[in-house]
Amino acid sequence: MNPVDFFADHTYRMVFFGTSVIGLVAGALGVFAYLRKQSLISDVISHSALPGTLLAFLIAVVVLGVDGRNMLGLIIGAVVVGTVAALGANAIARSTKLRIDTAMAVMLSVCFGLGMLLMRVIANGVFPGKGGIQDYLFGNASVITIVDFVTSLAVGGAAIVVMIVCWKEFALRVFDPQHAIALGFSARLIDALMFSMIVVATVIGLKAVGLVLMVAFVVTPPAAARQWARTLPGMVVLSAVFGAIGSGAGAYLSVSLGSVPTGPLIVLTLFAIFLVSLLFSPRRSLITRSIGRIRARQRLRAQLLAASGGWA
Amino acid sequence: MSFVIGTTMLAVVTAVACALPGAFVVLRRNSMLVDAISHAVLPGIVVGYALTRDIDSPWLILGAAIAGLLVVLGSEWLARTGLLTGDAPQALVFPALFSVGVILVTLEFANVHLDTHAVLVGDLNLAAFEQFEWGGVPIAPRYLLVMLGVLAVNVAFLAAFYPRLKLSTFDPQYARVLGIRSGLLDTAFMFLVSVTVTAAFNAAGAILVIAFMIVPPATALLLSRRLPVMLVLTVVIAVGGAVAGFWAAYWLDAATSAGMAVFYGAIFAAAFATSRVVRRRHARPRPEGSRRTTPLLATGS
Repeated sequence: MNPVDFFADHTYRMVFFGTSVIGLVAGALGVFAYLRKQSLISDVISHSALPGTLLAFLIAVVVLGVDGRNMLGLIIGAVVVGTVAALGANAIARSTKLRIDTAMAVMLSVCFGLGMLLMRVIANGVFPGKGGIQDYLFGNASVITIVDFVTSLAVGGAAIVVMIVCWKEFALRVFDPQHAIALGFSARLIDALMFSMIVVATVIGLKAVGLVLMVAFVVTPPAAARQWARTLPGMVVLSAVFGAIGSGAGAYLSVSLGSVPTGPLIVLTLFAIFLVSLLFSPRRSLITRSIGRIRARQRLRAQLLAASGGWA
Repeated sequence: MSFVIGTTMLAVVTAVACALPGAFVVLRRNSMLVDAISHAVLPGIVVGYALTRDIDSPWLILGAAIAGLLVVLGSEWLARTGLLTGDAPQALVFPALFSVGVILVTLEFANVHLDTHAVLVGDLNLAAFEQFEWGGVPIAPRYLLVMLGVLAVNVAFLAAFYPRLKLSTFDPQYARVLGIRSGLLDTAFMFLVSVTVTAAFNAAGAILVIAFMIVPPATALLLSRRLPVMLVLTVVIAVGGAVAGFWAAYWLDAATSAGMAVFYGAIFAAAFATSRVVRRRHARPRPEGSRRTTPLLATGS
């Protein structure tokens, strides 16, 4: 399919720009999860966002009596529960002898179990507009509406603005936590803010990508960008670019190929970008490193031969 | 055997079969690896199905377990390159493999009853439905026998390698000095975890397997200081949570495995609260110098 036809179609356009925005925001904010060495926190967030989303849906329908599929309401529910889960996992790791990985696994699985129970409650009951709620499990990029797109653009944009405003604090907390505390910054406050921005980046993609694959959007672009960039601003910008380009390209491919689902294809595109970075980046990559090793070996051999030649 | 008793037994056996190796997974700080393994089950099953064309073939379990092992070894390899930090290697590998699985399902087997939904969600009640018959008389749920087999293998492995596993878990360097081939042991153990996850996902769903495997040992670890005590507590919590969770779900008309996961979560929360209260009561001011220094980061103040 040629690009003109592609962009003439409203659905395709929404899929392309919708996933690109998700990739851009997740790529930019994912850098902080990556540098905190808690990439998998986004997996915890996406799974715990399920009960959050469903609770928000139930509250909207049963208590407030409004349309439950309002994107902003669902995002708020997901962000609240996702933030509680992310900070809860960190609190468990801090205050008990359990490690962060165990704390994350406990949070993830119990929240998901709660989500499955709520899913059953919604499936058994009579609620108006419960049809699309299943999409949050696997995601469906073709149902991105113009309202969804504008909402994710606004919410994601707000998250990026917060990141820019708190840039100095975030950077300090990531690279020198002790120094940040010594300077009098509240670690808890910065952490809460940082993790809730990571939550926002994870949550805006749930409907289009699904909770299982969202972790790839948050992890893969930073891991690829890290191989090229040496500064934090460089890494954030490059990661955002990788996320946006990978998502757009994956979406375009998925539409062109026809019946291939969008989310998985984007994940594979991002993974390909990562593999190329891991193999070929000029500064740190497998190939550069092995070339450097071979050269060093040759140099050493030359030196040793020269030295032994001198003595002989 | 009545349906309710059969399903309860299936819940209990699945819970114990998962929780026992889970204790070592928690102690080895590999908890999130179970998450990664459980997602790799899908591509493993799809490829297994492509080769055998039989959805009930036991080779599917083997294929899925090998895919799980692929995640473990792949992320270990990525971590060893030294070009990635933290838990990024795991988080990179499993979504890619899962995506391959989803794409294969939609392209090749759209008409077969091989549903990504079923893989992720799973239903204990459905798994217990199919009966093993002896001379036309239903004896027990067929899947109960599978899980009993997995439980037996797990118990046998843990019993046979208990001292070595304990040593390589708590002091891997010393284990290597003693000549224990910890690399081989680790791989064998992870393969066993992989097989257990694969076998259990049918009953629990790929994501709730994590609850079965991690939450009871994590709770037990909060409440104990010695490995044997922890293992006993793990089994007690796994069995108690399975029975209570099953009846809660039965009463609420909800999915059994989800009910069990939430019940485990409640037990964990109770243990967490208790351990904090106990710790606060024990935290008296100590003489200067005897107090262990805690790094600033850990206190997070």
